[in-house]
Amino acid sequence: MVSRRRIYVAAAFLAAGAAATAVLTQVGRGGSERVRIGTGAVSALTRAAKTADVLPADVVELPFAAHNFASADGRGSRLVATDGTTQIFAVPGKGRLLCVVEVDEAADTAGGACADRSVLLTGSIWTANVREDGTKDVVGLVGDGHTYASSGARRVPVANNAFVLHDVAGDEVEVGSPDAAQTVSLSK
Amino acid sequence: MFTRLCLLAVATFALVLVPQASAASQIYWWQQNMSPGQIGYDRRYAANHNYNELFFGPNAGWWGEVWEVTPAGARHFDRTCQGNCFNAHPATYYTYVYCANRDGRTHFVYDCSSSW
Repeated sequence: MVSRRRIYVAAAFLAAGAAATAVLTQVGRGGSERVRIGTGAVSALTRAAKTADVLPADVVELPFAAHNFASADGRGSRLVATDGTTQIFAVPGKGRLLCVVEVDEAADTAGGACADRSVLLTGSIWTANVREDGTKDVVGLVGDGHTYASSGARRVPVANNAFVLHDVAGDEVEVGSPDAAQTVSLSK
Repeated sequence: MFTRLCLLAVATFALVLVPQASAASQIYWWQQNMSPGQIGYDRRYAANHNYNELFFGPNAGWWGEVWEVTPAGARHFDRTCQGNCFNAHPATYYTYVYCANRDGRTHFVYDCSSSW
């Protein structure tokens, strides 16, 4: 007759084996597929504020600002890039949200996105204008440690945690560091 | 009696007008769970839109998209995003408005909204 102690030991081994299998399965499916860069920190948000960092008043009056920004006036925003007449801002969002907002006051347009900061570990918080021919102008925020963004053969440097990529023909861009690269999907 | 009838008529007329004025300046619609590939839209009538927004909520991280289509089928003001998404632009075309989550999974969507 099998002793009760042996049953307990066997059950413990089975439980440990199941746990190890579950961990390895998750690592195999998710962890290894998602390359991580940095800690998700965004240094551009912590530098001293300048006058140019203030979001235009007509942007903070939009419903999007009330839904997403940490403060009603977009406090804490930083101008992270300028591209022609377009200004790109990083804006602290509610909770764990971080926002990228592009404003072209000459064209009277604005657009943007807010996503959980954890996205910065494995890619970018981005937004893209999609032209009628399907090509995209992409602006994005990345965490510290990212040094470039690229689409096809074109590569642009990351500065102030931001990048701008014009005329993206496909549905992916790549962001990365000298040691690692991440694929950012622009569509489903 | 005539005065009372006039006042009643004016009040009734005002009650009819107020909701219409509000709806003409801004319209909202929302969907709770957008299944994979589902598109939210407002095609009641074309309007001169100037603002579109898709709001997943505070834990946004999925792909979203807002865009407009003229009655003739031309697509304009198409913006796609990682997470909550907005597009503000001059009122240029009479369009219908659309929004979608774009990562092929079901998500709770608080608002797809638009204004003109």
